[in-house]
Amino acid sequence: MGGTASKLPKDLLSEYQELTFLTKQEILLAHKRFSELQGRENGPYSSRVSMEKVLTLPELKSNPFRKRICHVFSTSDLRDGSLTFEDFLDLLSAFSDSATLEIKSHYAFRIFDFDDDGTLDARDLEKLVNCLTGETDDTRLTVEEMRQLISNILEESDIDKDGTVNLSEFQHVISRSPDFVSSFKIVL
Amino acid sequence: MMELREFNNQVHPTPDYPSPYGSQHSLRLRTVPPQETSAVQFDWASPPEDAEDSNEPPNLRELPLHMGLKRAVWQVQQMKIPVVSSSWNIKQSQTFRRFCEVAKHVLSYFVLWKRGIQKIGGHFGGGVQSYFLFLRFLVILNFLSSLLIAGFVLIPSIVFRSMNFNSTIPTTVNLTGVEICLQYDPKPDTLMVFITYFLDLISGTGFMEYSYLFYGYYTNFNSMVESNGFSYNIPLAYLLTAAFYFLFCFICMIIRMGGTARVAVVTGGGATGGYSALVFTGWDHGLQEDRTTKLKQSNFRYRLQVDLEEERLKKKSASLTLSQTVSLYALRVFLNMVVLILIGATFYGIAKATQFSQLMKTTGFKGLVLQYLPSMVITASNFVVPLLCDKIALLEKYSASTTVILALLRAVFLRLVSLGVLLYTLWEQITCEGDISKQNCIPCNYYYDEYKCWETRVGQEMYKLTLFDFLITIATLILVEFPRRIVVDHCSCKLTQWVGRQEFLVAPNVLALVYSQTVVWTGALFCPLLPFINTIKFILFYFCKKITLFQNCQPATRNFRSTTSNFFFLLVLLFGWMLATMVLLYSVTKIHPSYGCGPFRFSPTMWEVVPQAAEMLNSTSAEFLFYMGSQKFSIPLFIFSCVLLCYVSALTSVHGKSVALLKSQCKLEQRDKQFLVRQIEELNATVQKEQREPQQPQRETDTATRWNQHDNYAFDRDEDPRPY
Repeated sequence: MGGTASKLPKDLLSEYQELTFLTKQEILLAHKRFSELQGRENGPYSSRVSMEKVLTLPELKSNPFRKRICHVFSTSDLRDGSLTFEDFLDLLSAFSDSATLEIKSHYAFRIFDFDDDGTLDARDLEKLVNCLTGETDDTRLTVEEMRQLISNILEESDIDKDGTVNLSEFQHVISRSPDFVSSFKIVL
Repeated sequence: MMELREFNNQVHPTPDYPSPYGSQHSLRLRTVPPQETSAVQFDWASPPEDAEDSNEPPNLRELPLHMGLKRAVWQVQQMKIPVVSSSWNIKQSQTFRRFCEVAKHVLSYFVLWKRGIQKIGGHFGGGVQSYFLFLRFLVILNFLSSLLIAGFVLIPSIVFRSMNFNSTIPTTVNLTGVEICLQYDPKPDTLMVFITYFLDLISGTGFMEYSYLFYGYYTNFNSMVESNGFSYNIPLAYLLTAAFYFLFCFICMIIRMGGTARVAVVTGGGATGGYSALVFTGWDHGLQEDRTTKLKQSNFRYRLQVDLEEERLKKKSASLTLSQTVSLYALRVFLNMVVLILIGATFYGIAKATQFSQLMKTTGFKGLVLQYLPSMVITASNFVVPLLCDKIALLEKYSASTTVILALLRAVFLRLVSLGVLLYTLWEQITCEGDISKQNCIPCNYYYDEYKCWETRVGQEMYKLTLFDFLITIATLILVEFPRRIVVDHCSCKLTQWVGRQEFLVAPNVLALVYSQTVVWTGALFCPLLPFINTIKFILFYFCKKITLFQNCQPATRNFRSTTSNFFFLLVLLFGWMLATMVLLYSVTKIHPSYGCGPFRFSPTMWEVVPQAAEMLNSTSAEFLFYMGSQKFSIPLFIFSCVLLCYVSALTSVHGKSVALLKSQCKLEQRDKQFLVRQIEELNATVQKEQREPQQPQRETDTATRWNQHDNYAFDRDEDPRPY
């Protein structure tokens, strides 16, 4: 660990500390894990790791939202969900213990917004529920159940009745369910 | 990418940062090599937003931007910080913040079992984790309390005892007529066989009885030790430490409760937003294994299906016929009666067992069984009756959540009241059913023949309960949980598969903790080392429970909402605390302390030492203390707190109203937006139609003015709801 840790310049480290919710130890650990993923030690901080490799991390491997998480945090122009080290830190920061409810709910919204159109519509909700229940045919809800569930969700949280859930409505729901902060968490 | 940026802009216009968004475009498209970010072109000409009114730049971490952007903004911020006057302030605040971070980091090393609890959360979810957090809270509470007691009672007692102060009877006390009550001889045998030693150890008799463990050993050392002008009043210290111990626990609970209550109130009791909250916040991203993920997913499916089914049922039951409704309610009433009878029978059993074991005089193993009889009956009933209650609750056809809460409430009621019954039985026998003019209580004001030192006896009872609870937990771990796992894993017949691995049920486990903490509070006055014993017990509990969790348990198939229940658990703990406080207050102010033992031997009540000590102070402070204790002080205090309460409740209702107002305003604005969007669409259609026709410059300006008009109109409409 010492060898890889020392590769992160000190001023960069303190900058990361300033810009993320992570502690020094967490950043160093993240750096170690990330360089393991990169495979070669000499990669600059902007070199990318493909989504497939990132998803081999045990913390993400079995998460049903893993691909969405990568897509949301990726800054790649190719939209391939690949992550740079800084993207990776952004991810860990948003999922860290000390991140605020505000930022967590923002990213949660974007993860759930499968078609990236800025609102959760019925199709997003359906995909979301499928992720939660498992996507194979025998684990899905029936069509009737799904319809009832989605209409219930919209009934509850779509305050302005435009048929979709937007960010502020989403955050409104989140703010009323405090378990969220403790469950929206990935720790290396 | 572009779309994402727009998404940022439109959905989350972070008001603190207008200017970075201006240059966001260029930044987004760059693959940012970190060193070059300083070259980002910011609009330097733009007025430095917010720089004047807020010295503290908004925290960059809290902005949902990606790292390259954040870094750019940060570097600009660094440059922008004016070198004059306020820079020192900023620097100082920054160093302070950094210091806080370092301190927090260092402190985090001292957080008990951090990694372990995190790991538990990762494997078994937040509900089980909340149990362990609660356990940790209790361990810390008990540890601090035992430090308090050690510092103010135990160590001074040991010191004074080693200095050989004699306990003499003060001359001022008139003891004629009660000489007989002064005899107390716990007679620790010098020669003992091992078995007696062992029996004494677990029942708190013999050599244990007359030790620092129990009340009886703390004598009053002439009530005041004076040497070199230093004085220490041990009885006063004993009493005040107990009082502070209770106060301390109360404050700790209230603080913790405050946090969870705020959360529970915000969620509106967990009832609102059922489905959306479940779907939006239900996934626990900390889960790691494939197996747990699958299980969690099937949990979800199950729960959603049950909820949806329940809703359908509810709709159906609304259309239930009268006779069906009547029969359902009759069934419920009947089952409640059954539960009450069950609980009543348990209480009767506990009372009988206590009486029996207190009056029997047998030694040896049989004596031990008799000694432990009340603890055994309590533990057995606490094990059996909740099981029955659970089964009964299933018959009652309440909704799933009500079923859980109902079963819990019954269990809580049983646990705490059974302890109450035990205490009542003891009280009945010690004070001759509260009637000190009875024959048994004639010279000494308590039943001297049986209870030479009644405080120690109560302490022993609590000590036994604590120990027995611990032994039972260990025994179930070794004799039930491990064998069950081994059988289930290695035998594939249908029955074992049906039984399956154990599930870690949070609610009963937490209730067990609450119960044993209540026992400790009740016994703390009579057995000062009980908090210390309990600390060790809970630490061992942590390791036992963790082992059984990872070795024997599977993740629960039923979900457990941690937050609302957290509040409920603390509430139950508070009830336990109240029960213990009542016992404390009653025994301090009403019952005559034993003549034969203890620091309060010659006072009519334990409380008497406090006014006595206050009188010894100089007149002003004594007067002040008496004033604090008088009605002159307490009545205004009461009135004042009532006023405060009214104010707070008024504030709450006002907040509630403003929330409702804001909601309706939100709805209104959305309607405006939809209206405008429709207008724009119509307009677009007309424009396109016009474009298809041969264009004339005249018409274009026409359209432009119409657009403007629309804008104005929109503006007016926007203004409209403002005064609202």
